[in-house]
Amino acid sequence: MARIIGGIGTSHVPTIGVAYDKGKQNDPAWAPLFDGYKPVAAWLAEKQPDALVFFYNDHATTLFFDLYPTFALGVGERFPIADEGAGLRPLPAIRGNVDLQVHIAESLVNDEFDITVFQNRPIDHGCASPLPLLWPHQPDWPGTVVPIAINVLQYPLPTARRCYRLGQAVRRAIESYPEDLKIVIVGTGGLSHQIHGERTGYNNEDWDLKFLELFEHEPEQLTNMTHADYVRLGGAESVEQIMWLAMRGALPQSIRKLHQNYYLATTTAMTVVLYDDGTEPMPAAVQEFADVQ
Amino acid sequence: MSSSQRHTNPQLKGIEDVAGTYVFDLRVSNRALKLNRFFWNFITPEAREAFAADEEKAMTAAGLNEEEKRLIHTRDWLGLVQYGANFFVLEKFARVAKKTNLEVYAIMRGESFDDFMKTRRVPDAR
Repeated sequence: MARIIGGIGTSHVPTIGVAYDKGKQNDPAWAPLFDGYKPVAAWLAEKQPDALVFFYNDHATTLFFDLYPTFALGVGERFPIADEGAGLRPLPAIRGNVDLQVHIAESLVNDEFDITVFQNRPIDHGCASPLPLLWPHQPDWPGTVVPIAINVLQYPLPTARRCYRLGQAVRRAIESYPEDLKIVIVGTGGLSHQIHGERTGYNNEDWDLKFLELFEHEPEQLTNMTHADYVRLGGAESVEQIMWLAMRGALPQSIRKLHQNYYLATTTAMTVVLYDDGTEPMPAAVQEFADVQ
Repeated sequence: MSSSQRHTNPQLKGIEDVAGTYVFDLRVSNRALKLNRFFWNFITPEAREAFAADEEKAMTAAGLNEEEKRLIHTRDWLGLVQYGANFFVLEKFARVAKKTNLEVYAIMRGESFDDFMKTRRVPDAR
């Protein structure tokens, strides 16, 4: 039986991808961001998950508003990295496990989550910006991705509670998969930011930290909030944090935070957090970094 | 169109009180579909090259109206958002117009780039 071994919350700021491709890992302005991912990458290297389920959003790249799905799952052995207007990034195409993806799609639909399926389509920075900070990619990615795109662009968006329930349904899907796979759930986006209109540049660090606290201990409170609440508290585009709730829904009620990095440099509070179920001793990979600090 | 518009979606109750914010909902999307499709097409090198070669011709071929053409010609980033452009296709136009997102942010706030970056915690992170 497949099982979920942990969860990762991460920003998917496109600038992370640009800085990564330009080799700014040691640039003083960027090092606090890249260094913050190292314990998570080390944990993934230690745990060797077979697949990452990625709750992300397409930024009207692969999917356009003329047919923009609320929830869409990707099926395919490979997904090219999308050209978003600036050409192609030097990354290998994302790998997929068709049997696992199809099982999750079947399970979701039979569980009354009537998800859209896309095939043979590129994936944009919603997934590709943080992925190389989590997994090595030379010569190729070490595992496969189950991409699940969520509409956080064109209102009406799915409610926060619906995203949470999607995560619960994904957990049921994974736990009914017969093969003994280890799976990590990734929720992307946020934290506070607004990047359109005169309110561009809005951040709210107090709210970000409150969100992380509630996320860990009282996620139901976050599922009761409206989109307007998220927009008011964290800026318009922070509403995408409902994708973190999809990840939270796939994790057990009680979780342990293994690592957190919060770096508000310019306009987005770039954040990465790692969770597991807390039933095993602190993983060596994470402990090493904690000892250094 | 703007945040002052009343919304019938209960999830958006009270959002009209958030100034400087433009909800991209189905009404806006439907009205500005051609404009947003025009920007979306910049994911292909062909569309980028066609625009670089002849802006007017590319916009006319896409069926854009005079107001939309003017907003694009004048690189009126805030005006485009107020009109109904979604930021995530607008940023594809920004790549074509050789503007970084940070530069577009400064313009939407009505600030010079340097002044805007001074308001940020790590002005060198660009």
